[in-house]
Amino acid sequence: MNCPVCKEPLVVLELEQVEVDYCTSCAGVWLDSGELELILETDEDRNRLVNLFKEATDVNEKSYDCPICGKQMRKYEIGEKGKAVVDKCRKNHGIWFDKGELQKIVEFGSVNKENKIINLLKNMFWKSMPLAENKISLNIDGGNK
Amino acid sequence: MWELIQSNRRKSLVLFISMGVTLLLLGYFFGSAYYPDGGGFIGIFFAFVIWGILSLISYFSGSKILLAVSGAKEVTKEVHPQLFNIVEEMKISASLPAMPKVYIINEAAPNAFATGIKPENSAVAVTAGLLARLNRDELQGVVAHEVSHIVNRDVMFMTFSGIMLGSIVLISEVFLRSLWLGGGRYSSKSSKSSGQGQMIIMIVAIVFAILAPILAQLLYFAISRKREYLADASAVRYTRYPEGLASALEKISDSSIDLKTANKVTAPMYIVNPLKPKGQKLTNLSSTHPPISERVRILRSMSGGANYVDYQNAFNKIKRSKSPIIPSSGLADQTPIGLKEASITPVALGLNKQTKRDTGDIMMKVNNYSFINCSCGLKIKIPPDYKKTELFCPRCGTKHSLI
Repeated sequence: MNCPVCKEPLVVLELEQVEVDYCTSCAGVWLDSGELELILETDEDRNRLVNLFKEATDVNEKSYDCPICGKQMRKYEIGEKGKAVVDKCRKNHGIWFDKGELQKIVEFGSVNKENKIINLLKNMFWKSMPLAENKISLNIDGGNK
Repeated sequence: MWELIQSNRRKSLVLFISMGVTLLLLGYFFGSAYYPDGGGFIGIFFAFVIWGILSLISYFSGSKILLAVSGAKEVTKEVHPQLFNIVEEMKISASLPAMPKVYIINEAAPNAFATGIKPENSAVAVTAGLLARLNRDELQGVVAHEVSHIVNRDVMFMTFSGIMLGSIVLISEVFLRSLWLGGGRYSSKSSKSSGQGQMIIMIVAIVFAILAPILAQLLYFAISRKREYLADASAVRYTRYPEGLASALEKISDSSIDLKTANKVTAPMYIVNPLKPKGQKLTNLSSTHPPISERVRILRSMSGGANYVDYQNAFNKIKRSKSPIIPSSGLADQTPIGLKEASITPVALGLNKQTKRDTGDIMMKVNNYSFINCSCGLKIKIPPDYKKTELFCPRCGTKHSLI
């Protein structure tokens, strides 16, 4: 499966028996519908996710194609003030989070503790997120020298 | 048992022959539309040849094509011992002459199908999603259902009628398109030579070209629906545990994930129709499978035994009709077969997740993924087409070399 943004192959990350697809170039994350079904075991969980999503109306961001069916995805806002915008496949194949969106959602997660997806993403990326950029740039510098 | 197959065969044969007649009529009309003098028979000949060639291909490599189209990968016993064990059990209780090959499809949607025109050379394919969701009893129900399709020769009929449907669609398409492209040239020629009689044949041919594929599809679906009930009944006979299949069917239809590799022709092969919108209750002419809720209710209301008679009784009770699903020879065998008690408690979800991961990992290994276990606890799985030589763990930032 290729990244909808930079078309490079995505690597698979597994934590606590849940998998996400991750682009090592743009640090975006794809959450497959099969994984969502694994994380959201109860209807309550599912409703919580649905309530979180609001269809974004006036977003000028470039829209991407679903990495599974290749159809254009739809933009959704997450959170009260429409802070983060994610792309969701119209055929429900999954959700794509850009790097910036992911960070916003992870920060948002400290407010919305009950949401399992946010918790998972937080656990997967939170520790490294502010640091990772530094580290990666440091390492790249090291490699150049 | 043999008579059961025979009788099932006779019924499907009627539908099958209707499809064949449709195909030949189609050939006849198209032939006469082009060459009024004796062209009809040339048309029949060509329709027959096309069908013959496609049938030969499907007879010799139909299973391979179907499995390839669905993205199924053959697995060995080491990969999934439990699944193998269940297939072996069902092979014995259905007295199949040879062990079916076992395939896993790497898809999250739970579903399964069987292929194999001859029982000696058959295969059972299940999706990774199915393995992740079902417990042993349920999986056994599904495998038993698929094995019954092989034993009852359903696979053979579905393959050949599928091919016939394909031929009809193909010939109609070619005819209609040729009219589109060569229409001008043709009409000038015909107006000179024959006039009105020819015109009528032309119109009949066009109408037929539009209707035949629809008619053939309805017949195809009718064949398909009939066979699902019988396969359910046989599955209960093999497992002696209707609840296993019932709850498996429920779990499969509860999933909202679409099977990405299914299409119109392969849809009837699956245990649950992968294309129909969920929650549909009515049986209509265009559905390939009977409604799940009904299949489940019939299975659940079976009491007393696992014989064909018991299934037929449950069927009559639920459908409030007496239409025979099981051929009389099957009903005549009234040797009581007792129902089995539930053997294990449902598998806990944590374990379930683990099963899904394990199956997924197996599929990735089959597809040449490489694995890195980062010290922070994150597992990184890298696809074979990944070009970079190093990557940083997104969780802890550790650098991993990929050579």
